[in-house]
Amino acid sequence: MNFGSNLRQIALGVGVTLGVLGAAQAQAADKHKIYLSMSFIGNDWQAEAANMVKAMAAHKSMADKVDLKVQVAGPNANRQIQQINAMVQAGADAIVVFPISPTALNKVVKNACDKGVKVFAYDAEITEPCAYNISIDQEEAGRVTAEWLVDKLGGKGEIVLVTGVPGTSVDDLRTKAAREVFAKHPDIKVVGEAVGMWSQAVARTELSKILATRTWDDLDGLWMQVGCFTANAMQLEAGKTADQLLPCAGEGANGGRIQMLPAGTEVEGAASPYAPLGAQRISYASPPYSGGLALKLAVQALEGADVPKKTVLPLPVVTSDTIKLCQEGTWAEMKSGCNAFQPSLVSNPGWFASIFSDQTPEIGLPAALVGQPED
Amino acid sequence: MSVRLDGTRNTGFSPSRLFARHNGAIIAILVFAFLLGSVDFISPGPLSYFDVSFLSSGGATSALAAIGQTIVILSGGFDLSAGAVISLVNVVLAKSMDPIAASASIFVWTFAGIGIGMLVGAFNGFFIAVLMMQPIVVTLSTMFIVQGVTLLVMDKPGGFVSPDLGAFYLGDAIPGWLPMPIVVIFAVLLAWLWLKNTRYGTALYALGSDPESARAVGVNVTLTKFLAYVIAGGCYGLAGVFISSQTGSGDPLVGNPLLLSMFAAVVIGGTRLGGGQGGPLGTVFGAYILMLVVNILLVLDVSAYYSTIAEGAILIFAVLAGSLTHSSILAQQLRGARARIAAWRAGRLVSQQEDTDRRLRFSSSANGMISAPQAPFLVRHAETLRYALPAYVGLILVVIVTQIWLGRALFNPGYWNSLLVLSSFLAVLALGQGAVILTGGIDLSVPWTIGLCGIVLAGMVNGSDAALFYALPTVLLIACAIGFANGFGVVFLGISPIVMTLATNGILQGVALLYSQGTPDGFSSPMLRWFMTGKLMSVTPIIFFLIAFGVGAVILLGRTPFGRRVYAIGNSPRAAQLSGIATGRTLILVYMLSAFCAAIVGIMLTGFSGQASLGMGDDYLLPSIAIVVVGGALITGGRGHYIGMLGGALLLTSLQTLLAGTTLPYASRAILFGLVVLVAVLALRDRR
Repeated sequence: MNFGSNLRQIALGVGVTLGVLGAAQAQAADKHKIYLSMSFIGNDWQAEAANMVKAMAAHKSMADKVDLKVQVAGPNANRQIQQINAMVQAGADAIVVFPISPTALNKVVKNACDKGVKVFAYDAEITEPCAYNISIDQEEAGRVTAEWLVDKLGGKGEIVLVTGVPGTSVDDLRTKAAREVFAKHPDIKVVGEAVGMWSQAVARTELSKILATRTWDDLDGLWMQVGCFTANAMQLEAGKTADQLLPCAGEGANGGRIQMLPAGTEVEGAASPYAPLGAQRISYASPPYSGGLALKLAVQALEGADVPKKTVLPLPVVTSDTIKLCQEGTWAEMKSGCNAFQPSLVSNPGWFASIFSDQTPEIGLPAALVGQPED
Repeated sequence: MSVRLDGTRNTGFSPSRLFARHNGAIIAILVFAFLLGSVDFISPGPLSYFDVSFLSSGGATSALAAIGQTIVILSGGFDLSAGAVISLVNVVLAKSMDPIAASASIFVWTFAGIGIGMLVGAFNGFFIAVLMMQPIVVTLSTMFIVQGVTLLVMDKPGGFVSPDLGAFYLGDAIPGWLPMPIVVIFAVLLAWLWLKNTRYGTALYALGSDPESARAVGVNVTLTKFLAYVIAGGCYGLAGVFISSQTGSGDPLVGNPLLLSMFAAVVIGGTRLGGGQGGPLGTVFGAYILMLVVNILLVLDVSAYYSTIAEGAILIFAVLAGSLTHSSILAQQLRGARARIAAWRAGRLVSQQEDTDRRLRFSSSANGMISAPQAPFLVRHAETLRYALPAYVGLILVVIVTQIWLGRALFNPGYWNSLLVLSSFLAVLALGQGAVILTGGIDLSVPWTIGLCGIVLAGMVNGSDAALFYALPTVLLIACAIGFANGFGVVFLGISPIVMTLATNGILQGVALLYSQGTPDGFSSPMLRWFMTGKLMSVTPIIFFLIAFGVGAVILLGRTPFGRRVYAIGNSPRAAQLSGIATGRTLILVYMLSAFCAAIVGIMLTGFSGQASLGMGDDYLLPSIAIVVVGGALITGGRGHYIGMLGGALLLTSLQTLLAGTTLPYASRAILFGLVVLVAVLALRDRR
């Protein structure tokens, strides 16, 4: 208990504190400077994907390594070109990008690569070979869902297609692959086709237009990129009962997933049509976690790991046989196989439920909802 | 000293006159310099040649296209096909260039691009100048047709544009000193300078200032107008070539989003919408100001949700900077306010006078009316009928075609029910947008007024019918505040409606994102859903509302003092003001009406879809303008009737219903849609 040792302890303490501070500062300087260039932020999928990227950057394994800055380019490819240039000029180590166009960015991405910046594209692709691409196989998505529908209908019936945004590669690949499947079955007739713009709201107006001159009884099935939730809601409004709902191949909105649960399943916060109906469905999605994964891979690449140029994500497919309700939506719970979320937690039925990847234990339901990482 | 001054005056040069004449352009240049300086100041390193080179190529596409748009606007027109032409040129180049042949002729491809643009311009010009149709409908139709053709040429991104083109257009004119994009823009501006000083240039400004006087002094109005669209088309073509060289490939959607910012660039550059004043020099700087915003947001690290808010604020700021002159509306309003306060102090305000009837007595029968025999109904309403009927004739034709092609239309109550429900959104918007257009303005803030109101409503209601009773008034009040902000900016700050409402739209988008944190929650209540999708006596309840709304709208615009003021302002704001109309108050009310209608649509859409989503209003902007014009209204204001606009809404919806029932590919649908709209409004052309 002598005075000297106390003093030494204090000195030590101060020294340690200073050392920690110094280390923290050094770390701030060492942090990887990563930019996220998003597209138009004003739709549900983009906002959810952005939340997951932010959550990934905030996760404790990343927070002291990554300095993430998020910028929005809007729907304008010309602006994204300018933005990526500006990011390169500002000294980015890596750029994570939701490419507005798969081809228009090629030159600016090449330029970035030449300056040693790593460019990671999520969801949509960039065709420039030096870019890293993280996405699902869109053709597979179109094919698998179309085959499911043909099976359900026994190879015979009149169907309606609701496509995505015309002129984009994603829509083109999915729709073409689906059409090829339908073409092999001469008894499958496509009697109506609408441009759904990947939006539940647009799907409803377009389906209403088709149904102005048809009735639900004339149709046998639906193949939609987005809109099965809405289609089921519309059938209920038209007086159909839950077991009369048409088979629908479509997107991974949580509303649609809840409808797939057997009728009578207990869920919190359900209100028709956002309720278990036992709907005949196959549900797939471009998963919104791809942005978060892109960020994680970018950090790995910056740390010298060997990251492949093309990461093809497994197609998240859920059918009426594999649907399972999550109680809380933690990553661990999703790993054990649940794939639909309580309406009390996810009040927006158009919200995209394909958020699980075994490669991203950092992000779960809170990440997708509010940008909060897992512990 | 005075001698020298006189001398300079004789040669025609005076700094103040120069400033007065190029006011807009000079302010745009100053704002640009200020913003560039700020970027340089905030960013870590000094601006290098590379930065300048990047910036110059980044803004070149919009600058080139906006030059074309400026020329059309100078002539008093409006061109919505600009973005589509850029995409078309891009895909044609990317499709036809041979990836095997290593080199490509810059000359040939550049002129191919310009040629395509001029062809489309000639198409526009023919309908607008020769057939005297309204620019906004013609170019909107052209936009759809060109978008369709673009998708026929190339239905997804791809193709190849020779690197030679990129090396030329993005390279250096003088390595290390002068990037090529600047030279290209400079060359175009030089060509403009030459054109401006020819007889054609004079004619163009004359036409934009006052078409009647121009015609009276012998200007060939038809040719001048026609050439304006052709020249503009050439500029879009060149912009298409530039973006092709910049991207090295084709993308059928690349040009479309450039359209709105193009108008902003024109207005920031000091060109007056309506024509006759301004020029491409200011526009070029306007376009670069908009591009610089990207860099400013990046160096300031503005978070994603705030970026559209910041952008809107910068837009308003850039335009307000132009109000620092003595003659600006803001300055006038301030002087006016001071005068009013002084008058109020002195007790000389009209409202402070004694309340007596000071009307002049013309004759003893002032109250007895001069009872002229009332003209027959058809004669009294001849003009309204002439402009409103084409939409209904078109509607009947479309329904007959639907009956023949798809069956189950004409005598199918379900068809009419769906048609009316789907038209109801546009029919409600038509009143708001229509009233704004009748005063000579335009409301571009409709999409996110719809979006924000829908999201707020869904969040508050959250499935409970009881909550509707306070949620509805709250949302409608929010809308009134939005409309008031628009009107305030237009009236008191003197910001042109197109810029003010565009900025508001961006700000509202940011607010909606912040409010919802990117994930809008809540859903519509059962009652609201029943209202939009249920049945009352086998009719969807919204249709009863629609009928009442229609009657109310006709009365509001046709039979009330407010309606008459709206028309008066549209015909001549000055005359309206001099005849004692409180033009400012009326304009603000008109913008509030527009936001109010947009809010109703947001509520209706929420009920229709069951929930609200971000971007739910995006598809309603151009249609809301189109139906107003298809319904016979004049885009410059003063003419139009709600009955016609309602017909426009029904026509457009029935056409879309017909196309949705077919399995035609999207490209053909777009072309068909454009053609039908074009033919439908042929009957609306102004006959002389």
